[in-house]
Amino acid sequence: MTTSIRTNIPDRLVQQAAILVNDGWASDLDEILIDALRRYLSSHSAELSETFVREDLEWGLRGNG
Amino acid sequence: MATDSPIARVVVCDAGPLIHLDELDSLRLLCDFPSVLVPEVVWAEAERHRPHIFAMPNLPFVRVRPQHPPRPALAALSRLMPLHAGETQALQIAEEQGADLLLTDDTAARLAARELQLSVHGTLGILLRAIRRGQRSTPEMLVLLRAIPERSTLHIKPSLLLEVIAQVERTVG
Repeated sequence: MTTSIRTNIPDRLVQQAAILVNDGWASDLDEILIDALRRYLSSHSAELSETFVREDLEWGLRGNG
Repeated sequence: MATDSPIARVVVCDAGPLIHLDELDSLRLLCDFPSVLVPEVVWAEAERHRPHIFAMPNLPFVRVRPQHPPRPALAALSRLMPLHAGETQALQIAEEQGADLLLTDDTAARLAARELQLSVHGTLGILLRAIRRGQRSTPEMLVLLRAIPERSTLHIKPSLLLEVIAQVERTVG
């Protein structure tokens, strides 16, 4: 299942993506956008955020420095 | 509750903690460090959001710029995560200066810092540390923690914030 999204992307980014597609590094712009979103979500996950809050809690109350 | 543990000597700060601590009128908690290095890109970003921050007297901020291009490992992480310019520069300065502590509230930047084996914490850590360091009393800090959702743009899941507050009450109160 997929969802269509309408968004505005800076021309410069679209041009850079188009170069990757033309050079054969990606099949189309959709693939690049999906990959970029997937990478963003993996590095900003709720689990990670929660882990960091717990680390701050431990360090703040009982850590050094 | 103040402890005698050695404090971090070299501290580098990203924009998030500067903005969030200022929103909570707690920027002076950073005065516990001898100095706080603020990368020039971060300086500009923080100043854009909170124009008065660096005009406040007696704060330990030192504006710094990177001395070298980022190491390949950092450059790769910056592209992969992806990191914004300020976050990348904060990590770069932290590496160059051999920082004891990097302060950021960005999840990706914290993840990158961990990869680079840098010690990293955020606004919440600085607030809670204030109890340990005797900068704020526990009741004062509990008031501040409860006010985070209304007074700051620091995003913490409400149930998790309640858990933090409960633990502060249990541990220190």
